[in-house]
Amino acid sequence: MTDARLPPEADLLLLNALVDGELDAPAAAALERRVADEPEMGKAHEAIVATRAALARLERPEVGRRLLDRIEAAAGVSGPTSPVRQPRRQADWRALAASVALAFVVAGSGGYWLGANSPGETASDLVASTHRRSLLAANPVDIASSDRHTVKPWLDNRIGLSPPAPDLAAKGFALVGGRVDVIRGNAVPTLVYRHNEHLITVVAVPAAAGTSGPQSKQANGYNMVSWTGSGFSYWAVSDLERAELDRFVEDYRTATGVAASPES
Amino acid sequence: MHEDQPATRFRELVVPHLQDALMFARGLTGNRDDAEDVVQEACLRAYAATGRGTVRHPRAWLLAIVRNTAFTWMAKNRPKAVLALGDDAEIDRLAETADAASTDTAILTPEAELIRKAEAAAVQRAVDALPALLREVLVLREFNELSYREIADLLSLPIGTVMSRLSRARLMLAISIAEAHRD
Repeated sequence: MTDARLPPEADLLLLNALVDGELDAPAAAALERRVADEPEMGKAHEAIVATRAALARLERPEVGRRLLDRIEAAAGVSGPTSPVRQPRRQADWRALAASVALAFVVAGSGGYWLGANSPGETASDLVASTHRRSLLAANPVDIASSDRHTVKPWLDNRIGLSPPAPDLAAKGFALVGGRVDVIRGNAVPTLVYRHNEHLITVVAVPAAAGTSGPQSKQANGYNMVSWTGSGFSYWAVSDLERAELDRFVEDYRTATGVAASPES
Repeated sequence: MHEDQPATRFRELVVPHLQDALMFARGLTGNRDDAEDVVQEACLRAYAATGRGTVRHPRAWLLAIVRNTAFTWMAKNRPKAVLALGDDAEIDRLAETADAASTDTAILTPEAELIRKAEAAAVQRAVDALPALLREVLVLREFNELSYREIADLLSLPIGTVMSRLSRARLMLAISIAEAHRD
């Protein structure tokens, strides 16, 4: 066998895309000609194909009856019972800027996702910190849209989770958009609403069944409301006045079917 | 609002993708036992999340949960085997290494013949020895059979980054498999 130099990385990317079926027909045809004509491209292509074949021979782990039983037994009970201690990870907070005034953070499942049972910071503190960071960010949302049919799919596609995003514009709370926050290593969906010149940030985390709250509190100087319902636990944080925040929470809860509703 | 029982939704949304979840977890953790623990915990999280009908792409959704779970599970239970998947410095080092490699005329393409003769155990060892950043992309492509776009969405990466990591993963694999066989 003759030695062949490795092609440049740009060509390697193309060869990989070729074997993965990611090239369109004209590009694939052009590359196949190069593979046939240029020895270095031919050898590299052969090595990639051989590597894929070697991987294909590896045994795939099967989901055995035992594992399935374990999982169904664990899930069959009332959901997660022991909180998971999360490592500290930083979210990618953007550059400083912008004054924002009201943040509404929906967080969840008591302490499960956010590790609220661990010593030190409480879940409320973590949520308040998230809010504070968002106030400092250049842009409070990653997807800006007043259309919940845009925001929810975006969150679903990013992290497979999206809280209800009711249209509350008629109540004076317009949807601004959404983003993903990271709290104790977990990606949590966040919605942002606006009230007058104030912004509202909404984060949601899945919860076991059941409803609780709303419970009002203060954290890091912000007003906060937390409750559980419709499959999520929620925390609301804001520097809005208590009455305004309560009204927003009530409208949100009513719109998501958590609070008793006089309307449909 | 959905009337389905969580258990029913769990069986519909999660159970069909358990095989994918287990393969991905195996790739992230590097061994079968840890992978099962991660999958079980990921399922609990998924179960807690199935109370609502918001899941549009169950497989991608479950894989994302598995990935998050693997981070936290490994940090808690295998603190020495750090899953440095989000480490920018490591990405930069890898990029520099790869750039150096591609401009280094001494790098030769590994012999396909040696790769073809390699035993499965040696191939598995080579996969497990890959840097975590490269391994997860490789596993998602080769075992979970995700497209470049699906991988990019799942990992929140530009598609170009997915391509370069996959290319580097296969190159490192090819080199280590060929060398292991030569010995």
